[in-house]
Amino acid sequence: MIVAKSASLVYFDHGREIHACRDIDMQVSDNEFVGILGPSGSGKSSLLYLLSGLKNSTSGDVSFRGQSYKSLSDQERSNLRLREFGFVFQQPYLVGYLTALENVLLVDNSSSDSVTRAESLLDSLGLGDRMNRMPSELSGGEKQRVCVARAIMSSPSVVFADEPTASLDHSGGLAVVSLLRQHHRGAVVMVTHDPSMLEDADRIFTIAEGVASPVHSK
Amino acid sequence: MSTRSTRGNPRYASRKPLAAWVFPVRNVGKSLPLMLVIVLAVLLISGIVSVMNSIPLSVRNVYGYSKHITGATPRGDMSYFPELKEHFEQSPIPIERTIVARTVLFNVRSIVGPWPFVLHGVSNADASYLVEKIGLKLAKGRFPEPGQPEAVISGRVARNLGLSLGDVLLRPDDEKNYSPFEVKIVGILSGSEWFAFTSYEYLKENHFPPVDVLIFATPNLSEQRKLDAWAEESLKSQRALVFTFPSLERDTQETFRILFKILNVVVALLVTVITLMMAMLINIYLSQRIVEFGLLQAIGFTQSKLIKRAIYEASLVVAIGWLFGVASACALLSVIRSVLMDPRGFYIDPMDPAAYAYSIPVPIAILTAAAATVWWRFRKFDPISVVERRVA
Repeated sequence: MIVAKSASLVYFDHGREIHACRDIDMQVSDNEFVGILGPSGSGKSSLLYLLSGLKNSTSGDVSFRGQSYKSLSDQERSNLRLREFGFVFQQPYLVGYLTALENVLLVDNSSSDSVTRAESLLDSLGLGDRMNRMPSELSGGEKQRVCVARAIMSSPSVVFADEPTASLDHSGGLAVVSLLRQHHRGAVVMVTHDPSMLEDADRIFTIAEGVASPVHSK
Repeated sequence: MSTRSTRGNPRYASRKPLAAWVFPVRNVGKSLPLMLVIVLAVLLISGIVSVMNSIPLSVRNVYGYSKHITGATPRGDMSYFPELKEHFEQSPIPIERTIVARTVLFNVRSIVGPWPFVLHGVSNADASYLVEKIGLKLAKGRFPEPGQPEAVISGRVARNLGLSLGDVLLRPDDEKNYSPFEVKIVGILSGSEWFAFTSYEYLKENHFPPVDVLIFATPNLSEQRKLDAWAEESLKSQRALVFTFPSLERDTQETFRILFKILNVVVALLVTVITLMMAMLINIYLSQRIVEFGLLQAIGFTQSKLIKRAIYEASLVVAIGWLFGVASACALLSVIRSVLMDPRGFYIDPMDPAAYAYSIPVPIAILTAAAATVWWRFRKFDPISVVERRVA
């Protein structure tokens, strides 16, 4: 589904050339749970941005279902992210003036069933009585669960999770990963520095200094 | 699955959380100051223009009676009088009545100080004709006795000067409203026009200069305008002065032309200052929402969609602000009219379209500034800087 071929990402920071990702060769198949493990600054978030089209590779290529990201305009890449991908970031970013339910509806409010589906998702994530609360009235774990609901609301092909457990305690983090696996039928690409979060992963890559290597396959 | 419904919950907004009204309504603390600035700007501009427009409006109303007549008098040389009269008798426009009058000036009050107003000295028969022609009616009292220091004024003049039946209009010790005898008000006319008259004989015996004025009336207003035009054209460079309503309008427009040019500059400066202020405010608000925009762009909303949304929100705030501004200006001007202007017989139009038209550049300029600000902020915006917390 997602194929990276010799994909590299180089950027300049204060005139210094930074190789965030080097010659990445990777595939993500349908319904697969892929884990990317690495310490801080290893390039794992950059790899996630490459795979999700948030950034274009500076060399090599990344494609989704055979369509190279480089051949897509900014608008087409945005549409692809909205339609086919879901995102859970390190911080539980929610729109502050929208309720939990409305935050979930952000990504898909196209049909009359959307509200029912969003309510059902929040309910199944244990937020049935919190869906009309504002983000400021939710705990960090609750916010992250709302982010999970938002990420899977449109039944995306892939959910990209960038250290989704970093702002939570260990049990809270495990619960979020478990909910993600439980409620999402598509693929998951998760970046983390905590190996215990990847116990259910089908494949795990480690990344160091921008170079990714496979370490585990079920 | 939840069985509870979100309907009826006051927090539940819409199936469209990104609708343009959601942010302004849920962030009243942020949207209200923006609206308030627009309301005040519209109030200020419309107020200034309305008050300024009230001056020519007053001129048109105070001297509105002259729509119904055309006046002519020799330029100081009474020997030209018969020739002048003959000239009008040969006019191609049918004249219904020719009135020989004397005139004296007295002052009425306006928002810019005293204005001269004509006290017509006419015979009672001519006065009856003129009163009816102008659309007035004797409401109280009687007409002046020939040769007596007595006057009849319309209700508007009475209200303006605070006079009533039996009061003195002209007096020997009043330089600006002088007559050798106290001229008492013996009649009040009802109707919307301003008008005042006394007896021809009294002015002829007691007032200078000894020059008669010819007043011509045609069967209707359309003929009157034709007579005005004919008189102005045919007596150009002649030894006669012609008084017509169109020439009064032209003179008023000419007088206010420069004043309105200055007003344009003032309004342009005001709009510029307000627009800069609003652009700064909008920029601050955008900065406060940068995380929201970064998140939305990261999860797949296109930049153009986010820019459009920000502009729709700004349009909504600006449109509501402008409408409230117009409504507030209209309400305030209505209060000013009923409390300050009407009781003194002054004029102001709270619904003056020109006043509100002058405020239209405010929303246009603010929207342009908002669009430019939004475009500038999004120009090199990188959502990753937000999701990586490089931007707070």
